[in-house]
Amino acid sequence: MRDPSSLKQQFLKKWILGLQVCGSGKQNMSILERKEAIKLSADIALASARDGRTRWSRATIANASKHDDNKVLVQHLLAPESESLKKSSIGLVVRDNKRVRCKKILKWSCCVKRVRKSVSQVVLAKSIAKRMVNRKTRVLKSLVPGGEFMDDICLIEETLDYIESLRAQVDVMRTLAKATELVNGK
Amino acid sequence: MINRALLPAGGGENMLHCTDMTVLERQRARIKWQQEQQQQFQLQQQEISYFTELADVFHQAGVHEGGLSEVVTRSVKPDPGLVDNGWNNDHVVGYGVGLPYNNGLGFELNYGAISRTSSCPPEAVAAVAEATVKGSESVVSDMISSGAGRESSKKRKVDKAVAEEDTRDKRIKGCAEQGESKITEKNNNKNSRNNNTNKNSNSNKENSDETSKDNSKVSEVQKPDYIHVRARRGQATDSHSLAERVRREKISERMKYLQDLVPGCDKITGKAGMLDEIINYVQSLQRQVEFLSMKLAAANPRLDFNVDNLFAKEAFPACSINFPTIGMSSDMTNPAYLQFNPAQQQLVACCGLDMGIDPPDMALKRTTSAPVSIPETFLDSSCFTQTHPPPTWDADLQNLYNVAFDQGRQTSFQTQPFTGSIEASNLKMEM
Repeated sequence: MRDPSSLKQQFLKKWILGLQVCGSGKQNMSILERKEAIKLSADIALASARDGRTRWSRATIANASKHDDNKVLVQHLLAPESESLKKSSIGLVVRDNKRVRCKKILKWSCCVKRVRKSVSQVVLAKSIAKRMVNRKTRVLKSLVPGGEFMDDICLIEETLDYIESLRAQVDVMRTLAKATELVNGK
Repeated sequence: MINRALLPAGGGENMLHCTDMTVLERQRARIKWQQEQQQQFQLQQQEISYFTELADVFHQAGVHEGGLSEVVTRSVKPDPGLVDNGWNNDHVVGYGVGLPYNNGLGFELNYGAISRTSSCPPEAVAAVAEATVKGSESVVSDMISSGAGRESSKKRKVDKAVAEEDTRDKRIKGCAEQGESKITEKNNNKNSRNNNTNKNSNSNKENSDETSKDNSKVSEVQKPDYIHVRARRGQATDSHSLAERVRREKISERMKYLQDLVPGCDKITGKAGMLDEIINYVQSLQRQVEFLSMKLAAANPRLDFNVDNLFAKEAFPACSINFPTIGMSSDMTNPAYLQFNPAQQQLVACCGLDMGIDPPDMALKRTTSAPVSIPETFLDSSCFTQTHPPPTWDADLQNLYNVAFDQGRQTSFQTQPFTGSIEASNLKMEM
């Protein structure tokens, strides 16, 4: 595993920084707003902890930067790294998307529909299995940020990394939640 | 010949164990092992090639360095007659440490292979794995051909070893995407030479196997960034199906890693089931994040998270520990940065402490129930079993502590919670 504790520490640092940025802005936020802010800063902090090396992180940052409100937050969180990282992440995502979309169009146009006359059991089972796998792959692609534009192999690698990061995120958030509970309890 | 193979000059003491078995028994065991290895050989070659690629991918990630060495040790079976198991495995895992068993010329060639690829650890591992296999093979071929004329067999062995080494070297390099056209040409030369020498030899079972395998193999075009693949015997050799096969095997490799990562996937074989589990797991993790952020929002009306006072008294028992004297260092200019460190340190220590606080959490693996129950029952036990060594953790904490201490904000009272937390986290870490 990539060093989980340093990932957690990095994530925590950036997350708290982001929360301060968010909190300093508005007063009297509703609970939903607060929740969104917390989640957003957590996600961006997590993605930036990967330094743009993985696609899902770049996709998260790119998605977040799309909305103007979040741009400030993104800038603050990515400030230690260069501004160019942010720009490159957006650029890379766009380029990746275009490339994969072109490939897909090419594939579909060359694909020939086969007429199925008499299908043996084995062939039928295989095609059913294939369809199931495709369906699940599509679901997974929708779950992993930026997944729609990845091929299978890449998707699995990104999923691996994403799962690791999510785990770290959950652990840190859980500890913080417990800590605040303890404090508030007293 | 035999003597040279078995009793290496100045070899390790491990070798002396071999004298317990008789020569005949050892021969038999070696032949049997050799046959098994031959069967596995193809698979191994591919595994190794995929490892180098995979290792490159994961190298910076460092995801599976442990896994990589494990699989490599698994794939290289110890030769029962020659060395004892522990030693062989050690040498496979220990990246390119010299091979002590002397095969005369074969050994030197092996060394060449290792030194050439020693720059990159995954390649070195692959090289060592291949070299150990190859080295043992040449020993076996030695034994088998001992019936024939000694000198001719020696020459054959040398040629064959050279040819094999070069082809495999080339394969390693190709797989690591460093192939050059001249190497492939050399390979073609060596292949033809190999065929020639094999034709000249007696009909050794192993030699004929090698020849037929060579003849039925297909290499792809050589270009720097192509991956060199060999078709297996009796399988289609057009480029499409080769590419398909490569792709499929890549996917299954990565699925294996995912199997280790996602809890509860050991029993499941098959892409659809695995994908199901992965999807469920990712969904549950995402739901947890949502839930926890909601919880945090509810708990903090102001989003301040001023965690300085968080663990002031109740969380840690006061322990008296001799904390090393910390010199006051220079100023720190960034107040924001300073603010984090105690927080981070406390939280980080709390992460360690949590392991002790939540025994009920330890029980469980996965749930798909409503979000409310998730934090209580869901657990990432693998995250809690810290794989990195405690000293790093300690060093980090100590550094942070230094920084925080310098501020002069810490009262003497608060030093105790820190030390307590550090010791507690140490204890938890060691369990």
